[in-house]
Amino acid sequence: MNKSILIYVLTGILAASIPAEAAFKATLIMPGDKSWEGSIIARDGDWIEFSTGKSPRPIRLGASTIKELVFDVKLDAEKLAEMNRNREYERVIAALDRAMAPYVEYSDIPSNLTKYNALLMELYYKTGDFEKSLEVSCKIAGDDRDLDLQEKSRIYQALALIDSGRSDEAEALLSEYGWDQGLDNDAAPEKLYITAKLMVLKEQYSNAMELVAKVIAFNSQNPDWMQPAELLCAQVYAELGMYDSAEEVIRQISLLYKNTNEDDQAQKLKIRIEQLRAEQELKKSIEPENV
Amino acid sequence: MNFFHRYCGIALKASLLVVFLSAGTSAAQDFSSMGISDVVASADRMLQRGDYGAAIPALEEVISRTALLTDSQGMDTAQTCRFQLARAHYQTGNVASGMTVLDEYLANEPRTKERIALRMMAQGFFDTQEWDKVENIAVRLLEFPDLEKEDIYNANLLLGQALFRLEKWQEAVEPLANAAKTAKDQRIKSLCQIMIVRALVEAENWRELFGWIPRIYRTDSKYDITLNLTLMKAGKVRFEDDDYLNALLLYRMVLPREELLEFSGEYEKKLTAKLNKDMKVGIPEAEVEERQNEIKDLKTSIKTLSELPAYEEEVTFRIGQIYAEVKRYWESYVLFDKLYNSDRNSEIGEASILQSVLILYDVGENNRAEERILQYLDEKPDGLYARTLLNMMVRDNLVRQEFSNVVGLRTSVEGLPAAGSDDEKTLQSDLYFMLAFGYFQSKDYKLAGEQFSVILDSFTDSNHAADSLYYRGMTFMLQGDYVNALTDFKAYQAENEFGEHLSASLFREAVCEFGLENIPSAEAVFTRFIDKFSDDVLVSEAYSMRGDIEAAKEATYEDPHTLDRALADYRKGIDKAFSAQQASYAAFQAAKVYKLEFKWQEIIDLMQYYMDRWEEKANVAESVFWIGQSQIELDQVDDAVTAYLDAIERFGNDPLQQGVDKIILELVKISGYHLSDEDRDGLAVKVKLKLTSIDERMEVLRLRLQVTQALLEGDDIAAALGAELLESNIKLALTTPASLSLMCDAAIDTGNIKEMDRLFEYFNSNYEESDLLWHAYRAKTHKLLTEEDFWGVLASIDEAQGLFGAEAFMAWAQIIKADTQFKMEKFKEAEKEFNMILGVPEWRGPVFAEAMYGMGRCRLALGDLETAHSFFQRTYLLFKSYADGEWAAKGYLAAADVLIKLGREEDAVKTLQAMLEDEYTNTSPLAEQVREQLKKYGGQ
Repeated sequence: MNKSILIYVLTGILAASIPAEAAFKATLIMPGDKSWEGSIIARDGDWIEFSTGKSPRPIRLGASTIKELVFDVKLDAEKLAEMNRNREYERVIAALDRAMAPYVEYSDIPSNLTKYNALLMELYYKTGDFEKSLEVSCKIAGDDRDLDLQEKSRIYQALALIDSGRSDEAEALLSEYGWDQGLDNDAAPEKLYITAKLMVLKEQYSNAMELVAKVIAFNSQNPDWMQPAELLCAQVYAELGMYDSAEEVIRQISLLYKNTNEDDQAQKLKIRIEQLRAEQELKKSIEPENV
Repeated sequence: MNFFHRYCGIALKASLLVVFLSAGTSAAQDFSSMGISDVVASADRMLQRGDYGAAIPALEEVISRTALLTDSQGMDTAQTCRFQLARAHYQTGNVASGMTVLDEYLANEPRTKERIALRMMAQGFFDTQEWDKVENIAVRLLEFPDLEKEDIYNANLLLGQALFRLEKWQEAVEPLANAAKTAKDQRIKSLCQIMIVRALVEAENWRELFGWIPRIYRTDSKYDITLNLTLMKAGKVRFEDDDYLNALLLYRMVLPREELLEFSGEYEKKLTAKLNKDMKVGIPEAEVEERQNEIKDLKTSIKTLSELPAYEEEVTFRIGQIYAEVKRYWESYVLFDKLYNSDRNSEIGEASILQSVLILYDVGENNRAEERILQYLDEKPDGLYARTLLNMMVRDNLVRQEFSNVVGLRTSVEGLPAAGSDDEKTLQSDLYFMLAFGYFQSKDYKLAGEQFSVILDSFTDSNHAADSLYYRGMTFMLQGDYVNALTDFKAYQAENEFGEHLSASLFREAVCEFGLENIPSAEAVFTRFIDKFSDDVLVSEAYSMRGDIEAAKEATYEDPHTLDRALADYRKGIDKAFSAQQASYAAFQAAKVYKLEFKWQEIIDLMQYYMDRWEEKANVAESVFWIGQSQIELDQVDDAVTAYLDAIERFGNDPLQQGVDKIILELVKISGYHLSDEDRDGLAVKVKLKLTSIDERMEVLRLRLQVTQALLEGDDIAAALGAELLESNIKLALTTPASLSLMCDAAIDTGNIKEMDRLFEYFNSNYEESDLLWHAYRAKTHKLLTEEDFWGVLASIDEAQGLFGAEAFMAWAQIIKADTQFKMEKFKEAEKEFNMILGVPEWRGPVFAEAMYGMGRCRLALGDLETAHSFFQRTYLLFKSYADGEWAAKGYLAAADVLIKLGREEDAVKTLQAMLEDEYTNTSPLAEQVREQLKKYGGQ
C-alpha cells in the first residue's frame, strides 16, 4: 500500500552523515513564498537563528512565522528501497530515525520532513506499532500543505485506532471525516476498507463482509487497496465460519501477492482455519454420543 | 499492438579513414579518374557534412579499388568504406542496399564495427519484418563479450520483439523483461510490459502473469486497450475451460470501456500535441514517422474499442458468476446487486436479481433474500424470474418449516399471470404443490386439499399430479371425510401401479374403511397390506390396527380366540416396528388386552420384552407403570411401589418422560387404596428423603417429587402446591403434566385469566398426548367463560370432549356446555345437554343433581312450569345426599317458587316445610332463608 510515497522519498537521495555542529543547510520559505538558501544556526525557544552566509550576523525569526523549512536530508534511496522491498522495515525505520534525529528540535515547523514522517507512519503501522503510527499520523493530519499526504495520514489515523482496538475513537474519527456516510458501490476503496475493519472490530461480520466485498469487486485494478482488502476478506469469511471461502481467498493471495505481509498473514490464517476445522470435526464426532 | 524498435543511431561519425585521410578536396563527380586518397577525402568530407547521397559513389569507388586487396591496410580501408557505405544507404532510406553492403562487411575482415553493423542489419530486418533474422542477429549480438548496458538493452529489445512476433511467447518474456527493466524511456517500458502480459497470457503462464499484473496496474499501462482486450479474451477462454480462478483474475483486471476510451483519447491528444511541438523544433523524419504510427495505432485501437458492443456488464456478470463458483459469495453478491440496480429491465439485470437472491440464500441472509424477492414481485409480477424467485422463497420456507410464511405467499402465487410455456407451467405447479404442503403442514387440511385440487384440475400433466392425489386423500382423511379419502386412495392405487405412495395409500384405504366403520373391509385391507408389504414402514401400524379390530371383537363360541389374535398382531407390531413410537403403541395396546383378560404376569413379561427390544428408546416410564399396575394386581404391592419410586427417580428429570407423571398418579392411587397407614407413612418418608437428597440441578425431578409428596398428603395440600407454583412464576420448562394440572386448577380457583391462557398454550403445545391435558382445557374454558365468550366456550368444550369423551373426569365439560347454552338462552338445547349427563353412569353424583336442577331451570325459562316443578322435585327426591344436600335444597326452593307461580301457595308452603324437615337439607345455608319465607305465609 502507498508505495508511491516510498518511491518518492527514496528517489535521488543519498545517505550522508549529518554534520555534528548545530548548523544545518536549509532553505527558508517565508509567507509569500519568498525563500533563502542558508543554514539554521540554532534555536532559542520560539526563535530560530538563520544565516544566509551573506551577512556576518544570523537573522532571528519567530518559529511560527516560518512557512516551511526545507532541510537537506540525505538518505541512500536505493538501499532503503531495497530494504523496504525485502520487508526489512525495522532497518528502514532506524535509518529514517537516524537521518531525522538532528531535526527533531524543529519538528513543530512545517518542513520537508513531513514526507519522511509519512513514510514512518506507514512503516510503524506495518510493524504493528500503532501508537507511534497514530502519533505521526495525527501530526500530519493537521498539516494542509499537501492534501494527498493529509488524506493519507487520516487513513492511517483511522487504521491505527482500529488496529489498536479503540473502536469508539475510530468511529468518532470516521464520523468527523464523513467516512461513515455514502458507503455505496462507488465509495472510495479506503473508506470502504476502513469501515469494514471497524465493523470487524465491533464483530459485525456480515456488515464488514459486504463492505470489503465492495472494495474487491469494484476496485480490482487498484493494487494498493486490493492487497489488504483481500486479506481482510479472508479473515471475515473465517469469522463467519465460511472456511471454504476463506481458503479460496487465501489461495488467491498466495498467487497474486507472494512474499508480502498479506501473504504471511494469510498463511497464518490458513493454519488457524485448519485448526478450527479440526475442532469442528472433533465436535461433530462427539455430538452423536451426547444425543 | 504497436511494436517499437529503438535504433539508436549511435554516432557513426567517428573518423574512419585513418590511413588514407589526407587533405584531398576534389569535387569532381568522376571518381574513377581521381587518386584513391582524393576519393577517400571526398567521401569523408561529404559524410562529415551529412551529404550521404553524394558520398555513396565515392565510397563505392574506394571499395571497388580496395576489395581485392589482401594486405591489412587495404582490407581495413575496404571494410571501413563498406560500413560507411551501408550507413549512407540507411541514411538515404535505401535500407535494402545498405543491408547488401552490410552482408559484405560481415562476410569480410576486419569487422571492428561488427556490433553496430549487426544492429543496423537487425534494424533492416525489423523494417522488413523478417523476425527470424532479427532473432538470429539479436542472439548473435548478445553473445558478444563485455557488452555495454546500452547494447544489452538494445539487443534484448530486438530479441524480445522478434520472439514476440514469432509467437514464441514464453521465450519472448525474458528479453522483454530485461528491456523493460533497463528502459529509461517510460513509453518503451510500458510497451515492453504490455507485450510481456500478452506473451504470458498466450503462454498461459498464469503464475508469472499475476506477478506482473500488480506492477503494471500501478502504471498507466493498465489503460492500454489491447492489453485489456487481451485479458478479456483470455478470461473468456479460461472461463469456458472451467478454469475459474485464472478466469477471475484475468477478468477483474479489465477496465470499463468508458474509462479506457477516456484515457486513450486524452493520451492520443497529448501525443499529437507533443509531436507537433517537436516537429516545430525539428526532429528526424524517421522519428516523426514512428511517432505518427504510434498515434495511428492508438486511434485504431480507440476505434476498435468504440465499435465493440458494451462488454462491461457481461464481464461484470461473469466475474460475479466466478466469484460465486469459487464460493466468494459476497463479492459475487455486490456485483450482481450493482448490475441489477443499474438496469433492472435488461436481461442481465433480471438475471442478476436471480443470482443475487441465490447468493443471499447461500450465505444465510434469508430475510434479505425475501425482501428482494417481494420487491421484485411487487415491481414485476410478470417478470422473467417471478416464478423462479417465488419458487425459491416458498421452498426455503418449506425447508425451514415456516409453514405460515408459505401459506402467506398464496396471494403472490395466485397473482402470477397464467403460465404459457412448459417451464412456466412446471414452476407454477411446483408453487401450488408447495403451497398445498404449507397448508398441510399447518394442519389446515381443507385449504391444503383445495390446493392439491388446483394441481389435479389445472396441471394434469404435472409431475406432482400423482402426489397431489395421494395427499388430497390424506387431507380428506384427516378431516374425517373418509368417503372422499377412500376414493382418492383407491384412484391413486389404480393409476400408479409403481407409485411412491402405493403402500401408504393401501394402508390409508384400510384406515378409511375403519373410519367408515366398515370393519370387515378394514380388516381385509389391513391383511392385504400386511401380505403385500410385509417390510413396509407402516406394517407395524397395520398389525396394531388389525389387533385393535380383533380386540374389539366379541369372542363367540365359534370364534373364541379374538384376543389371542389381537395379541399376536400386537406382538408383530412390536417386532416389525420401525420406530419406538410404533412399538410403544402395539405394546401398550397389548397390555390393555391382557388387562381385559387379567393376565398380569403376561403384561409384565410383555413390557420386559418391549424394553429389551427397544432399550433406551423404549417408553420405560410407561412400561414401568404397566408393570406396577400388574404387580398390584398380583399382590406385589411393595414391588410395584419400589418400581414406581425407582422409575420416578431414574426418569423423573426428563420432562418428556410422561409415563413418570402417570406413575406419580398411580402411586398416589396405590397409596390410597393398597397401603396400610404405616406403609403410607413409609412411602411419604421415602419421597421426602429423595427430595432432600437429590442433586440441586435436577430441577424437573425435584418438582415431580414435590408434586408426588403433595398428592400423597391430600387434595388440599396438592391444591396449595398448585397455587404456590402459580404464585412463584416457576419456569414452565421445569413443569410436566402432573404439576401443570395442579397449576391449571389453581388458576381456575384464583380466577387468574392470564395464567389460564398461558398454561393452556404451554400444556397443549408440549404435552398434547397427555392424559391430564383436560386440566388445561378446563382452564381455557373457564377463561372464556369469564370473558363471556360463549361461542368460544362451546368450541373449547367440543375440542376437549373430542379428545377425552365422557371419561369420569369430564363431567365438568358437559355441565358447562349446558350452562352456557342456558346463558345463551338456548333453553331447549341446554336441557338436552343437561339430560345427556344423566345418561353417563361415570358421572353419577352431584353432577346428576345439578343436571336435573338445570333441566328444571330450562323448563322454567320456557314457561313449562309443571315440568319444571317435576325436575326440581326429582332433584330433591333423587339426589338429596349429594354435595351435602346443596342441590336438594335448591330443588326445594325452586319447586316452591314454581308452585307459587302456579298459584298453589299451600303446596309451596308444604314443600318448604318438607325441606326443613329433611335431614339432608335442614342444615343447609338455604334453610334460614326458607324459615324467613315461611314467616311471611303467616306461620303456616
